[in-house]
Amino acid sequence: MSNINFNKNSVMAIGVLLVMGIFPLFVDSAWLAIGTTFLVFAVVAFSQDIILGRAGVFHMGHAMFFGLGAYTTAVLNVHFGWPILATWAPAVLVPLVVALLLAGPIIHLRGDYLLVATIGFNIIFIQVLQNNIFGITGGPNGIFGIDVVRVFGVELFEQTHMYYMAFILLGITLFIMKNLDQSKFGRAMFYINKDDVAAQSMGISIRYYKLYAFALGAGIAGAAGSMFAVQYSAVSPEAFDVISSIMFFTIVLVGGSASLPGVLLGTFVMFVLPEVFREFETARYLVFGLAMILTMILRPRGIWPVKFGNIPAFLKKDVK
Amino acid sequence: MDIFLQQLVNGLTIGSLYALVALGYTMVYGVMKLINFAHGDLVALSAFVGLTVYTQIFGEGVSSLIAIIVVFVFTAAIIAFVGVLLERLAYRPLRTAPRLSAVVSALGAGLVIQNTIMLMWGPNMKIFPSNLFPQTLWDFGGVVMTFTQVMILGLSSVLMVALFLFINKTKMGTAIRATAIDQDAAKLMGINVNRIIMVIFIIGSALGAVAGLFIGIYYRGITFDMGWLYGLNAFVAAIMGGIGNIPGAMLGGLMLGLFNAMITGYISTQWAETFTFILLIVILIFRPTGILGEKVAEKV
Repeated sequence: MSNINFNKNSVMAIGVLLVMGIFPLFVDSAWLAIGTTFLVFAVVAFSQDIILGRAGVFHMGHAMFFGLGAYTTAVLNVHFGWPILATWAPAVLVPLVVALLLAGPIIHLRGDYLLVATIGFNIIFIQVLQNNIFGITGGPNGIFGIDVVRVFGVELFEQTHMYYMAFILLGITLFIMKNLDQSKFGRAMFYINKDDVAAQSMGISIRYYKLYAFALGAGIAGAAGSMFAVQYSAVSPEAFDVISSIMFFTIVLVGGSASLPGVLLGTFVMFVLPEVFREFETARYLVFGLAMILTMILRPRGIWPVKFGNIPAFLKKDVK
Repeated sequence: MDIFLQQLVNGLTIGSLYALVALGYTMVYGVMKLINFAHGDLVALSAFVGLTVYTQIFGEGVSSLIAIIVVFVFTAAIIAFVGVLLERLAYRPLRTAPRLSAVVSALGAGLVIQNTIMLMWGPNMKIFPSNLFPQTLWDFGGVVMTFTQVMILGLSSVLMVALFLFINKTKMGTAIRATAIDQDAAKLMGINVNRIIMVIFIIGSALGAVAGLFIGIYYRGITFDMGWLYGLNAFVAAIMGGIGNIPGAMLGGLMLGLFNAMITGYISTQWAETFTFILLIVILIFRPTGILGEKVAEKV
């Protein structure tokens, strides 16, 4: 592979990954838990970015797919005794299928109508969980006592184990995201985002690719949900309500949609910084709201916007 | 039959409140193509401001026409001012930015208003005094109607008719409609778009303020985060009617209020929101731009 060039960006990416890789060696357990949740939320934010940033679908109900993954793992493990490893595939497949079924009839709606419809799905989801449907979701309290991951008789129960599992999950997600740009899907998405009428007249099915984005995003969010359930060994409805959806939505836009470093930075700013300023309990969210307004005014495309849209590298060569 | 009539009265009452709030969403959307997520929090702010105005100026227990007028006018003026300020600081710098950036700014502004309420009035529920309006009620053969309900229905109908006439019969209303159709063309025809947007925010916020006061008087318990709930319902109502469409917001509000009342009266309160959103999604499947919404492409 001769065309791997060590430019500034890849050096920085490797640096960030290294810092994240050795992070558990230097912190106490509280910060380790925050670090793990950061990794999980970053995965969800990337999956939100597939739908919102890349496919350009105004989607404000992503916590639902995150929650579906978490609840799939919790229900199968606690009520049906499946080992955690066996619940991973269903935790990806259930949100994926649900996303296709729900988004199918409404994917043609205009932006803002779609936004409120996706909020609606999320609210219905929370109400279904709280009303303890079929007696398996545990109502408002949720489900407790989720098992740990066991591989060949080894129990991965320590926080450090959780951290590295989430780290691997983020790695896989980043790999998928990186490949998306170079794939047929990524190119079609980019075209649709730029000009959907032109894309459609070139024979690109908008409906197909938007649903593709929904399914992929929901599947990845489901995997993150499964990890989340294992980390806290419990799930409850409020972690997956519309407020969380709004957080993921905001992460992508504050960070920079369709930008890998942007979404990572957005997750850091929106999730880790509020944890750092926990002492300023009451005024915290006031400042947070002001910061959201200021960020958008100063950097309307996000803190770290993507350059050239997301034109694949092989197309950019001629531009230089 | 009694339940039906009673729920009809209750539904129309809450429906007119939704309609008043929905008008604020739909007018801003019509002109700026922006979902003003902070609007619900303005409504909540209005209930708290009204509470303070009432208890500070008149003290609890005073009930007179003057007290009612002062509380309503004063609160509406303050909220209208906050609304204009909100537009100046959080939305105007983003008018040419990507559409979703303004949405994030609106979400941030909502957080700011919500937490300002919490810091100023405290995190606990406040109780609105019960005696601003007389506690009269009428019994029509089993169907009870309170003075507050009559006031809500009466005043919101008056306001909605007034708004309808203002938008359709006055010069300013024509300018607002022109700006909603094409901002650039309106500018070229000599319309001051900034002024139009200011008027929109004054009217929208003042209508929201009236709704907020009524929420305080009707339900009594007010919390700093209640704006989200009323805002969301009103926003759904605006979407149902066709967002950007003023009669649509009125229709959507009344429809949603009646539907909610019938669901809570006959089926259950536990599933109320689920039914609301199922209704919304069914409407959107058959009418993708709402009941009265026009079929326009988003981007041409």
